[in-house]
Amino acid sequence: MPSAPEAAWPDAGTRADLWVIEPRQHGVLERTRELWHYRHLWWYFALEAIESMYRRTKLGWLWLIFRVTAPIGLQSLIFGGVLRVDSGGPPYFLFLVCGTTTWILFERSLLTVTRSLEQHRKLVTKIYFPRLILPMSAVAPGLLYLAVLLVVLVGTVLFYRYQDGVWYVTLRPELLASAAAILLSLIFTVAVGLWTSVLQARYRDIRQGLRYFMPFWMYFTPIFYPVTTIPESVRWLAAFNPMTAIVEMFKWGTLGTGHLTVPSIATSLTLIALTMIAGTWFFIREEAASIDQL
Amino acid sequence: MKSLLVEGLSKVYRVPIPRESTKGGESRVDRFREFFSIPLARDLQGTHEVWALRDVSFGVDGGTVLGIVGGNGAGKTTLLKIISKVVPPTSGRIQGHGRVISLLELGAGFDDEATARENVFMNAAINGIPRAVALERLDDIVEFAEIQRFVDTPVQFFSSGMYLRLAFSVAINMQPSILLADEILAVGDLAFQERCLEKVRELSTQTGLTVLFVSHDMEAVSRICDRVIWIKDGRLDRDGDPEDVVTEYQNATWDLLGGGENVGARGSSRASKYGEIVDVKLVSSDGREIGAPPRSEDAYVRIRFRTYRAKTRARCAFDLYSKGTLVFRSAQPDLCQVAPDTAYEALVKIPAHLLSETSYSVSVLVTLIRGEGEVHALAVKKALTFMVYGEAGSEAGSLRRTGVISPVLEWSLEERAHAVRA
Repeated sequence: MPSAPEAAWPDAGTRADLWVIEPRQHGVLERTRELWHYRHLWWYFALEAIESMYRRTKLGWLWLIFRVTAPIGLQSLIFGGVLRVDSGGPPYFLFLVCGTTTWILFERSLLTVTRSLEQHRKLVTKIYFPRLILPMSAVAPGLLYLAVLLVVLVGTVLFYRYQDGVWYVTLRPELLASAAAILLSLIFTVAVGLWTSVLQARYRDIRQGLRYFMPFWMYFTPIFYPVTTIPESVRWLAAFNPMTAIVEMFKWGTLGTGHLTVPSIATSLTLIALTMIAGTWFFIREEAASIDQL
Repeated sequence: MKSLLVEGLSKVYRVPIPRESTKGGESRVDRFREFFSIPLARDLQGTHEVWALRDVSFGVDGGTVLGIVGGNGAGKTTLLKIISKVVPPTSGRIQGHGRVISLLELGAGFDDEATARENVFMNAAINGIPRAVALERLDDIVEFAEIQRFVDTPVQFFSSGMYLRLAFSVAINMQPSILLADEILAVGDLAFQERCLEKVRELSTQTGLTVLFVSHDMEAVSRICDRVIWIKDGRLDRDGDPEDVVTEYQNATWDLLGGGENVGARGSSRASKYGEIVDVKLVSSDGREIGAPPRSEDAYVRIRFRTYRAKTRARCAFDLYSKGTLVFRSAQPDLCQVAPDTAYEALVKIPAHLLSETSYSVSVLVTLIRGEGEVHALAVKKALTFMVYGEAGSEAGSLRRTGVISPVLEWSLEERAHAVRA
């Protein structure tokens, strides 16, 4: 005797689920619900992104450490040692580590986020799943860099404790500002990545361009120098770079040297929010059309 | 209850208009020149619309295996992609019940460097299935795929057969309500193909699974489908009984390939850039070419063909006609891997005492399949015409053999007492 359809599968409830496909794309609410439903996928893509960083390398995780510490060492030597940039208090190396932390998180993630749709071309054109998961989970490699940087930061603080006998970073409530800076940096990465990943699916120029554009952005962000070295007359311009506020917020939380003003934070937060909202709108609108062209 | 309802579905792709034709195809120099042309001007040449699907409507009841046939580029795959939500439609509406699992490409979503077990979980996650459910079904999946010993082996070390079995097994164990299968069963060995088809049938009758089955394998389509639709140039051309639609589709394909009745010795369809049917002959059991076989001896249809391009699989088939009626069609049971630039000879035996004493004609089709189902057909209509002659007056009181075939059947005649009593 054939069994009833309901008896055959454990989650018989979903079989009654009605779905509709129409040219109109789903709204934000529906998307959010979907992201939750496919939550298991986040880990897979995140782990996959991390794994693919050092796949088939011999040195593996050593590259991770090398790629984080080598540039900092070199930059510290040039800006701190040769050019003698004034950090405005703490040792230059420590100042630099604090400055680059959020920046590297942003920069590294943005590159992987940008390529996320393109790299999963094979999957995306064959199987349906919420595509928003791709750019969002592609921040994982950046988080790994962040972890290494935080270890370096703690090591540096301990080093100066023994050398100078001073705790440059102490456990205090302001550290929460640094955590907020990390979170903001992640949000901003995804916000920008929502644009770049869709565009990259169509124009591979995006990644090419980004690679050369990012160093410029880095120099326009107060990483190697305190924001106070920017002449007062043009300092307001720096607020239009959301990374300025993020980097300064992190330094303020850890070292207490960051320069934060309410207008600059407000401008940056508004910009981040706008990029995110517009990015989500753009991604939802253009994602499908991009996939036709992948 | 309708499991799937497709209403007025259309899909337009915008395809860039190619630049003014470069004579003799695009060479490396042309591409180099293209690269150095003014960058953004390239985008201004505009696009034209290609209708992959146009106003397609149909409904499928739960538990139906719906075959979808049609030529290459007819829109079959686009239809499946829209139903699986990969591609949005331009207009129209689809309504369905339950989970849709697509097998648009076997092993899409498989990570080669991950083990079979990890891939099962990965696939479950992609289809929005909780890990716990996947864990529960893991044994079933592994068992059906017959890979018990290799659960923890990275799938890149799998043979293509194992890979295929795993992919299929994962898909059918993901609790689909609707399964979309695009030409997937064309690969893999015959035994597994059989098991897949059987499983598909079983699930459709037992759990009400609806299957959309795209295939160029007409034999499989007529065997497992309850209903067949034929998509032609993006439109739904026919919708009906498998027998009818498949026969009509095949006849249309023959006409298209054979170019009507009078095919020249070098008809365009007997040769393509992928291969060529060299000749078709009737030969005796010792290999001699014969024109009129005796009924009492086995005869062989010999198809000689050659291949040009690399990596194809081939399947030969022939239709035997008598007085304009199709007597039967016979095809090689599986696709055979063939080497490029090689001559092949297919031999098929027509057993003695099968055909009638009349004239027959043979049409030949050689299907070459590249990669995942890119089909190129070579065909020669009326490649061979022959007359069968009988053993004149060998049996006393024999009746004239009439009909399109006259097989020798076993007869028995016994005395039965009880039959008389009534």
